[in-house]
Amino acid sequence: MGLVNPDFTDRVNRPEGFNAAACMNCGVCSAVCPMGIDLLPRKLFRYVLLGFEDKVLANSETIYSCLLCRMCEANCPAEVNIAENVRTLRNYINKNVFNI
Amino acid sequence: MSDRRIGVYICHCGGNISDYVDVEAVREAAGKEAGVVVAKTAMFTCSDATQQEIMEDIRENSLDGLVVASCSPKLHLYTFRDVAKRAGLNPYRYTQVNVREQCSWAHTDDKEGATGKAVRLVRAGIARTLLTDSLEPVIIDTVPRALVVGAGIAGLRAAVGLSDIGISVYLVEKEKSVGGRVAGLGSMYPHGRDGNKLISQLVSEIGKRENIVAYTGAEVVEKSGSVGNFNVRVRVGAYKPQFVDLNVGSIIVATGFDTFQPGAGEYGYGTGRVVTLDEFRDLLDSSGGRPVYNGKEIKSVAYIYCVGSRRDSGVEKAKVYCSRYCCNAAVHASLLAMEKNPRIHQYHLYRDMRTYGRYELLYDQALEAGSTFLRFGEEDPPAISGGPGGRLRVSVKDLLTFGEEVEMEVDLVVLVTPMVPRQNGALVDVLKLPLGKDGFFNEIHPKLRPVETVVDGAFICGACQGPKNSSESVASALAAVTQAASLLKKGYVELEPLMAVVDRDICRWCGECGKACPYGAISKEEYQGAEIAVVSEAICKGCGGCGPACPKNAIDLKGYTDAQVKAMIDALVAEWGHTSLI
Repeated sequence: MGLVNPDFTDRVNRPEGFNAAACMNCGVCSAVCPMGIDLLPRKLFRYVLLGFEDKVLANSETIYSCLLCRMCEANCPAEVNIAENVRTLRNYINKNVFNI
Repeated sequence: MSDRRIGVYICHCGGNISDYVDVEAVREAAGKEAGVVVAKTAMFTCSDATQQEIMEDIRENSLDGLVVASCSPKLHLYTFRDVAKRAGLNPYRYTQVNVREQCSWAHTDDKEGATGKAVRLVRAGIARTLLTDSLEPVIIDTVPRALVVGAGIAGLRAAVGLSDIGISVYLVEKEKSVGGRVAGLGSMYPHGRDGNKLISQLVSEIGKRENIVAYTGAEVVEKSGSVGNFNVRVRVGAYKPQFVDLNVGSIIVATGFDTFQPGAGEYGYGTGRVVTLDEFRDLLDSSGGRPVYNGKEIKSVAYIYCVGSRRDSGVEKAKVYCSRYCCNAAVHASLLAMEKNPRIHQYHLYRDMRTYGRYELLYDQALEAGSTFLRFGEEDPPAISGGPGGRLRVSVKDLLTFGEEVEMEVDLVVLVTPMVPRQNGALVDVLKLPLGKDGFFNEIHPKLRPVETVVDGAFICGACQGPKNSSESVASALAAVTQAASLLKKGYVELEPLMAVVDRDICRWCGECGKACPYGAISKEEYQGAEIAVVSEAICKGCGGCGPACPKNAIDLKGYTDAQVKAMIDALVAEWGHTSLI
């Protein structure tokens, strides 16, 4: 159960340029991920779109384990800037959790 | 022995038939039948060379009957009737026997059986042909005027179209003003132009045309006559009604649709903060700045799709079909809302997103603009309850987030409801137009005859035929214009003479045939001091329903007389020694 929190979505979205709106949940990203990260990126992106801050933060480990290799991005049919979105999320966590 | 001279042609269909039917054996059997003068096979009977050969045979052998055993009459009946006609043989002395669909294609596992069946079918065809008479098409003069029922965007456009072709139009609208649903709409997809402006433009076009007469507050109450020449009575005004009698050659029905009204309490409808998409559009169209509901700015909206549509037939009031316009309309409404308030949060709870064709661009725009889409299964519809601060709490199992329960608090819930058939039973009764199982008017053929109805001369267009957006409605309106005009500009219609005929000496009017006729083609008349039945040639479709109803056996069907049908049955069973089975 999660309560949609548009404020979180806005905080991540607007200043930092997170954009996964075009994602259509096809799953190519998960299939090609060399780390086999199943949360990344589509499930995680849904959490951001719906504003599930706690679920995003609970998966900080996973967010930092991404290699930023862009294999997913190269294969994304919807041209989502996946790696950039992961960076944006790391920025958010750096600022809001680790205060750096 | 018969003194008839019949030619029989058995087609190979390039192997389609001859791979499974021994066409030479069929030819040999046909040649032995009484009255058969020519019996041949051909690789492709429909080819120009064979058509020429048949024509030569008809002329050289003075043939007075023709049988082609090939494919279905739907494909080539008119082809070979035309061959007969060009060779000077009356086309109604032709019989088509279908040995492809009924023999070779149906019995690929049994060549012998397929051949035997083909022989019997050909014998039956010959038997029918032995009893054919020359018939002439029935010619009906047409009146160069048309009636358009319904003055929404489809009816208005149809009226302008007919007028431009030079056909006078009577436009009948039930409401007090013309314009229909579109007149009440602001910005419409995909061009962003206002519905009310489109209607004003059409109305001004109609004003410029002297050959269009419009009646508002008017309804069609009676119709008689038939294709090319209908007499229609229109009631104008409700309190002191006046009646106008119109004589028209064709009728275009463009009576539009109704919108589904959710039941009280369905998704909280009627309890405040829950509106239909129509109501939401009115709200958007009437708000200059940020949209407001009950005095408070709308900061968040949840749209619930497929409310009342795409449900099991068991669900009360709900429709089984997809209304197809609503995904586009809801996504477009969310873009309008975003324009008026860029900070609005919008959630689309859908079952399947069907923004088909170029309207996919609307969906892309909505995604880009920040709308969030969530998907639910038919069995797990969203639930609505009261939330904090008078807002509504919507919860849904979101299939896009892997089935997680998601809750959102919103200011307004918009129910995306389908188009439903308009309840205009009186008009259905007057025009005798058939309804499909969804309750919309039914066309004859969805692909090839999409605006024609079983009532010759009556056409349907727009959303009275099924859910359509306005551009699709106008496209079908113009299709109806073309069909109506092609009928009326010719000045006459030719009808198949395969119709019921009453033996005036036997008939003593009892009315049974009239009750059996689904087209109202049979009426009573005086003949030599007695009352007898008479069949209107303009209305009769030759269905044969009246024949068996007659207690005196006074009705026969031209082209398929009782004698012909009996002869065919005898021929079919001849090799078993049965004769005169009936």
